[in-house]
Amino acid sequence: MTDEVRALVGRSRTYTAPEPLGRASIRYFAMATGDDNPAHLAGDVAPPTLVCETNQFTGLPRDANGYAGHGWDFHLPGTREVRGGNAYRFHRPVRPDDVITAHWQVTDVTERTTGSGQSMVVVTSLATYTNQDGDLLVENEETLIYVEVGR
Amino acid sequence: MTEIALERTIELPDMVAYAGATWDWHRLHYDSAWLAERDLERPVVDGQLFGALLAEMVLDWAGPGAELTALSFRFKGFVYAGETVRCTGRVVSVEDGVTALECTVEVVGPEARVAVAPAAAEVRRP
Repeated sequence: MTDEVRALVGRSRTYTAPEPLGRASIRYFAMATGDDNPAHLAGDVAPPTLVCETNQFTGLPRDANGYAGHGWDFHLPGTREVRGGNAYRFHRPVRPDDVITAHWQVTDVTERTTGSGQSMVVVTSLATYTNQDGDLLVENEETLIYVEVGR
Repeated sequence: MTEIALERTIELPDMVAYAGATWDWHRLHYDSAWLAERDLERPVVDGQLFGALLAEMVLDWAGPGAELTALSFRFKGFVYAGETVRCTGRVVSVEDGVTALECTVEVVGPEARVAVAPAAAEVRRP
């Protein structure tokens, strides 16, 4: 693993939404996911995973692939990036009047070898979502995997 | 032993709606020319959607007033537009009012396979 890769640990980004989450965002997400929970369709309470899935807070421009969400601007030559998974911990339901701040930090970078002998680098990040009062809403541990290609 | 399930067919319009609702406009999920350049035959379902479906399944079963407290999942492979997924959950413990479930998401039909595993949820029931 190179020094550049190791130096990812501790890198952080913070995004604060310019407005409250809003009932329309909640209702749209519920409709898009086929969720018929009346509290979600009314926009009273957000479906639990919404704040972890939306790019609503970032305010970033689209990249060449059309993506406008959080990223680390990290490219490891000779690899392809795949999403490993997520682990969410929900501290309290998110409501339409919450103004969300998402704080991301790289917590770990590990080099491993797959069962077929390919090298891979696993980057683990923790996102914490808080509101305008500093209430902790959700934590989201995300794993990105950079798998060696061309062998 | 309690087992729960949720089945959903994910058509391209569902994926477009999800992309809009999550402000995620990545071409992987709808752009056929972009996909063809990468040898992908069909638009790929956003994996985060499976988190939403697992949460919906658990909360529907847990009933009014229940709160999801934790959810985790690992991706095993792509799911494509038009495929049907089946989410399942199995209660593994109940402690201090919190029910823990082991979950999976599988593609059903002619190309059946595991899409998400392992996955787990915790829900507090009133």
